[in-house]
Amino acid sequence: MVSIYVVDNGGQWTHREWRMLKYLDATTKIVPNTTTWKTLTDEGVDGLILSGGAPRIGLENKLGNCDEYLRKSNIPILGICAGHQFMARFFGGDAKPSKIPEFGKITLTLLDTENPLFINVPKESIVWESHNDEITILPDSMKNLAKSENCTYQAIMHKEKPFFGLQFHPEVNNTEYGEQIFTNFISICKKNQTT
Amino acid sequence: MFKPTSFIKQATEQIQKTVKGKALIAFSGGVDSTVCAALVNKAIGNQLIAVHVDTGYMRKNESENTKKLMEEMNLNYRFIDASKEYYASLKNVTDPEKKRKIIGEKFIELFDEVANEENIQYLVQGTIAPDWIESGGELRDTIKSHHNVGGLPEKMNLKLVEPLRDLYKDEVRELARELQVSVSEKQPFPGPGLAIRIMGEATPKRTKIVREACAIVEEEIEKASAEKKMTLPWQYFAVLLPVKSVGVHGDKRAYGQVIAIRAVESMDAMSCSFSTIPHEVIDIISNRITNTLGHDINRVVYDVTNKPPGTIEWE
Repeated sequence: MVSIYVVDNGGQWTHREWRMLKYLDATTKIVPNTTTWKTLTDEGVDGLILSGGAPRIGLENKLGNCDEYLRKSNIPILGICAGHQFMARFFGGDAKPSKIPEFGKITLTLLDTENPLFINVPKESIVWESHNDEITILPDSMKNLAKSENCTYQAIMHKEKPFFGLQFHPEVNNTEYGEQIFTNFISICKKNQTT
Repeated sequence: MFKPTSFIKQATEQIQKTVKGKALIAFSGGVDSTVCAALVNKAIGNQLIAVHVDTGYMRKNESENTKKLMEEMNLNYRFIDASKEYYASLKNVTDPEKKRKIIGEKFIELFDEVANEENIQYLVQGTIAPDWIESGGELRDTIKSHHNVGGLPEKMNLKLVEPLRDLYKDEVRELARELQVSVSEKQPFPGPGLAIRIMGEATPKRTKIVREACAIVEEEIEKASAEKKMTLPWQYFAVLLPVKSVGVHGDKRAYGQVIAIRAVESMDAMSCSFSTIPHEVIDIISNRITNTLGHDINRVVYDVTNKPPGTIEWE
């Protein structure tokens, strides 16, 4: 059994992330972002999702204890929307209000179809978006995995750590391969358990 | 996957543990409250009293049908016609959040009265996940105050029991089928009712217009889907807009209001895409609305917005 918690940054779809994990038979729980890293490790968590949040939250310097998780974790972390923007900023990149914010249906184009997060996801697919801000500078330690017409950094990963970020929302029912992406993240967490 | 039988077992045990004595359920007759009533009835039997409030903002024949449903389910029930009170308290109110809060508070006032008479301590509600998510609080932004969460007064005497809090509509329907609830496939209808399908003041006159328009949209879409011209959307209704436009009626100038038709595909109400309705069906709906409601309505439009950026209901 793999245990993946959802860290709640106040997103509309936090609970959908929890449901997605539950349906895919992961042990899961929604925890406030003020939960300490020690509590999480004491509970034996194998992976974390950093949820999205209310407008502008990705631009704040502090997102609960998300910085602590990113500093100390050796387990996989998937940041979504505000969680994704915060991750890039934590490693020295930047995020700013989008010139063209995206809401609803968008075509995602993968730049790296071989990535473990995108196994069985085609090069182009429909994803659902809802963001006012986006990453403007990608840190050197991270790599870009996907883009859309109006947003350069739709999916990112750390070059050395098992950390991923997604600007779009794989937990939303309308995202074509959302469940596949969750399945892939669960596999990444399982693989990490054994190493 | 969601497992209805094990959910029913766990929820029933939980309800038996929490609820001591009598409980009141806010019963609208929709899928959520009906499933919730069936579940709680299973747990505590006739200690449960269902209360249906006719707010005056219900759809055509809805309160009458709900009365029949409560009888069919052998529920201990109270039927309250509070339409006059609701119309009075929403007089001159145009702000959607104010409407929702007034409606929510009024519900609690009425439930409190019954609770006092019957010596009840628990209020059971069919609250589901989108209700508390969208109502916001703490980190989460308020998208809209659902009457059963964000519309509740700060101080409440009744203790809340909400067994469906972590479920979405598709899961509630699975429960409904398992519990053999007759309204299992009924389309969602918001608690504040037609009041939030009327942009601007929800007067009795404007309520009548939108009620008739909603009935036309429902009838024609259900007919077209029975005739296999289209699949039945997840939700479909009419909205009365606060703008007027110019038309021509029998060689005379007409200056009337606008109805928007909304039909969406969704699974959980947390995102949706607008439905593609065949033009011939939209044509029939438009003609029926502008002919039967011609005195007030001379224009019909179709809403082509997904969620996000829109929401399903307009307010």
